[in-house]
Amino acid sequence: MEAIKRIFILLGSLDRRIIFLIVGLSVLIPLLKPEWVTLPIRITPESQVMFNEMNKLNEGDKLLLSFEYGPSTKPEIHPMSIAILKHMYAKNILVYGFALWPDGNFMSTEVFSDVSDDYGKKYGTDYVNLGFRPGAEAVVKGIAADIRALYTVDLHGTPINDIPMMKDVFNIEDFDFVFSLSAGYPGSTEWVQFACDPKNIPLSTGCTSIQATDILPYVKNGQIRGILAGMPGAAEYESLVEEELQKMDINIKPGKASGMMAAQSIAHVVIVLFIILGNITYYITRKQTGKDKI
Amino acid sequence: MNIKAVIWSGLFLVLLGLYAMGEGSIFIEGARIKFAAIILVSITLYYYIDRARSGEEIYLRTIPGLKALEEAVGRATEMGKSVLFVPGISDMDQVETITGLNLLGHVAEHTAKYETSLNVPVSKSIVMEAGRDICKESYLKAGRPDLYSDDMVHYISDEQFAYAAGVNGIMEREKPAACFYLGKFYAESLMLAETGNSIGAIQIAGTGSPSQIPFFVTACDYTLIGEEFFTASAYLSKKPELVGSIKGQDIVKLLVMVFMVLTLVLNGFFQAGWIGFDILNLY
Amino acid sequence: MLFKRHIPLLIVIGVGLLTLFGHFINNTLIQSFVDKDALQWFDIIASFAMFLGALNMLKLQVIKIIKKQKNWQYSILAVVGFAFAIFAGFFYRGANFITISGIQDENLSEVAIIIAEELNETNSFNIENKIMASHDGYEIDKLFITEGNAKLFMEKLTPYVAAAELKSKSWGAHVQTKGSLFYWMFINIITPLGATMFALLAFFVASASYRAFRIRNFEATLLLVAGIILMLGRVPIGGLIPWWAVSILIIFGIGAIVAPFIKERTILLGIVGGGIVIFIITGTLMGWNQNPPYLLSIPVIQDWIFAYPAMAGSRALMIGISLGIVATSFRIIIGLDKSFLGDK
Repeated sequence: MEAIKRIFILLGSLDRRIIFLIVGLSVLIPLLKPEWVTLPIRITPESQVMFNEMNKLNEGDKLLLSFEYGPSTKPEIHPMSIAILKHMYAKNILVYGFALWPDGNFMSTEVFSDVSDDYGKKYGTDYVNLGFRPGAEAVVKGIAADIRALYTVDLHGTPINDIPMMKDVFNIEDFDFVFSLSAGYPGSTEWVQFACDPKNIPLSTGCTSIQATDILPYVKNGQIRGILAGMPGAAEYESLVEEELQKMDINIKPGKASGMMAAQSIAHVVIVLFIILGNITYYITRKQTGKDKI
Repeated sequence: MNIKAVIWSGLFLVLLGLYAMGEGSIFIEGARIKFAAIILVSITLYYYIDRARSGEEIYLRTIPGLKALEEAVGRATEMGKSVLFVPGISDMDQVETITGLNLLGHVAEHTAKYETSLNVPVSKSIVMEAGRDICKESYLKAGRPDLYSDDMVHYISDEQFAYAAGVNGIMEREKPAACFYLGKFYAESLMLAETGNSIGAIQIAGTGSPSQIPFFVTACDYTLIGEEFFTASAYLSKKPELVGSIKGQDIVKLLVMVFMVLTLVLNGFFQAGWIGFDILNLY
Repeated sequence: MLFKRHIPLLIVIGVGLLTLFGHFINNTLIQSFVDKDALQWFDIIASFAMFLGALNMLKLQVIKIIKKQKNWQYSILAVVGFAFAIFAGFFYRGANFITISGIQDENLSEVAIIIAEELNETNSFNIENKIMASHDGYEIDKLFITEGNAKLFMEKLTPYVAAAELKSKSWGAHVQTKGSLFYWMFINIITPLGATMFALLAFFVASASYRAFRIRNFEATLLLVAGIILMLGRVPIGGLIPWWAVSILIIFGIGAIVAPFIKERTILLGIVGGGIVIFIITGTLMGWNQNPPYLLSIPVIQDWIFAYPAMAGSRALMIGISLGIVATSFRIIIGLDKSFLGDK
């Protein structure tokens, strides 16, 4: 019994660096060998709602896709943008790219160039990237009121009057759906407050896990229709899109988020085990010293 | 009968009436409720500011985090180490940044008094200029303008994680004894707080970002949660008019709670078919 | 005093009141100022102010290098990085591209193969179709950072095309066009650095949870249990946790709640242990191994915690913080709080 207690005390007082090493390995090994661990993806109600809303769009409908994330949150949100484009391209929805962050330009450029060719989509007729404008809420209000007052050229410097798919687009009311890929401010909250709620345009969002608690009140109120929360949300949406595209006889490459869920799962389990270990050690040492060690 | 309360209530009704009369011509349509809310909140706040000015004693509960401000600076002085103040990563358009800089003024007064070195790395240039002005004034007020240097408040980077890396580097190298995180933070909050914890510094945090508060609570010694952070400058200055606005804020919160319950009850009655009025149409 | 106090205060009060009440005034000019101009003025000021910050950072790093202060070598990296970003953004476009025209039909497939090789594409047929579809010259979908590399590639095409022209993307567009020097820097330097820093959060969360989640009192225990449920419920592995493990967790939780009221530890152990045994036996007999109850699932409990207690707390915090912002803004707008001017 004493030996067991000593082992627990030793394990519970591990150097932080050993804990970090174990956490690091628990993430790295499943990433390098994803085939070792395959876990079923559970679809949450919020992700299902978001998918259903996007799936209701018909051929020729217009989607406003707004990029509000950067390199640091790319692993969580970029898989969502890829899956959304695949979904929308398969259904022949017209995609209009905007960005409220400067980094959003790079993210949008990357995702459009990676996905569009695979679906034979042409710039200017199937998708367009209008890019970033500074101003946060002012940009959202500007898009809600008059896009042409804010955007005279697209990301590549082409006048928007020369872009065929911009012909009938003047403000947010000309869009059928808005999707915000948001990692902070400005992001989904600004879209709700200044554009989609006042003008009654359906909005959905994909955000980081940390931000999900801030945005959930809007989801529960119906102001945002469904939410993809972090990497689990991205993995859920990827699996729903793969299933839907398989029904349409379209084969797609598996998304990255699904492959990363094993790593996230194992890392969470490792952290939980360390927490339990820490508590056992705390309990044993507290009993031994006879007073509360805080 | 409180005459002032009657006068202010009358003013509220008059303004509302004027808005209703001018709706469509001078004033925009469909914003009556928003206008009424703004006027009601403004009048409530000003009423209590006025009462505080007239000498009414207003009770404020102790906020441990604010009480510990001076102690933290004192600790740094005893240990011969510096004080680190992080005013968040947002610009001056955010109220949290302004509040953080207000608190920087108070901390700077203490560091001037105790002759402790102060390091304020910032993420935005305008915040840097505002921070410098505030620190200069504080050192002047404490009678130690000779201790002030512009390099106390210095710019690191606009980029979120570049800034976090820079601040973490400062913490690891200089090992400040007291760290203050008072402003608007995002994901870098846990990185800063954990690094501060690892160097053994006393940490006081406050932010208006709800999602970052749990990280600060976990890693910091004191955390100003929610409105505690916004009342800080009023709490520390003890000026009656500012303290009065805190009471006004609490009364507004009470009004919000009353409206929430009223809405719940009236909507319940409407759902049950007992009344024909749907209060949700007001919103 | 006039310029340092009174004028700034007048500006703050004037613009504050105008922005607040201008929203309600039915006038296009005022609405335009409130909705667009006020925010854009701030952005313009902030953009110009960026020079101040950049120069300050540069000054401090250069002084560190010159005076050879502690760890001055890292300052060289800071200065070089800064200079490289300025060079790639303002001085060197690095966004050269080639347009070709006048391709004979018999040379079309050869040209397509050469281009496909350069773009690392296996299928040159797509490129052939694109060349045939283009009327005013075909723009090769690759940017060359240096003119030299672009010219080397042009030499391969020259025997097969009538005209090959070397062009450059316009200033501004070069920053966000894939393949340019700035884009290369963003994707290969800034993106991995940013992702690495964000990834560090995983380690910080591990060490913070390890230290903070202790069963010290009721609130700490509640935090611990909720934290574990949320961590496991958010990932697929949570769905694999069997019903009996969840039952044990629930009974431990109940035990932690009643523990302060039961002085005898043996009785507490008996209640918890007995409860676990009875629950598991009952569940097995009721066939829960094949058909577990909906509520004894970590993801379901996690969904409930997310949807109700967590969101209630989040909403309450949001309301409180918003009121704090309103009160602070009101004090600033009416000129009561002048601390941002340094006046307390």
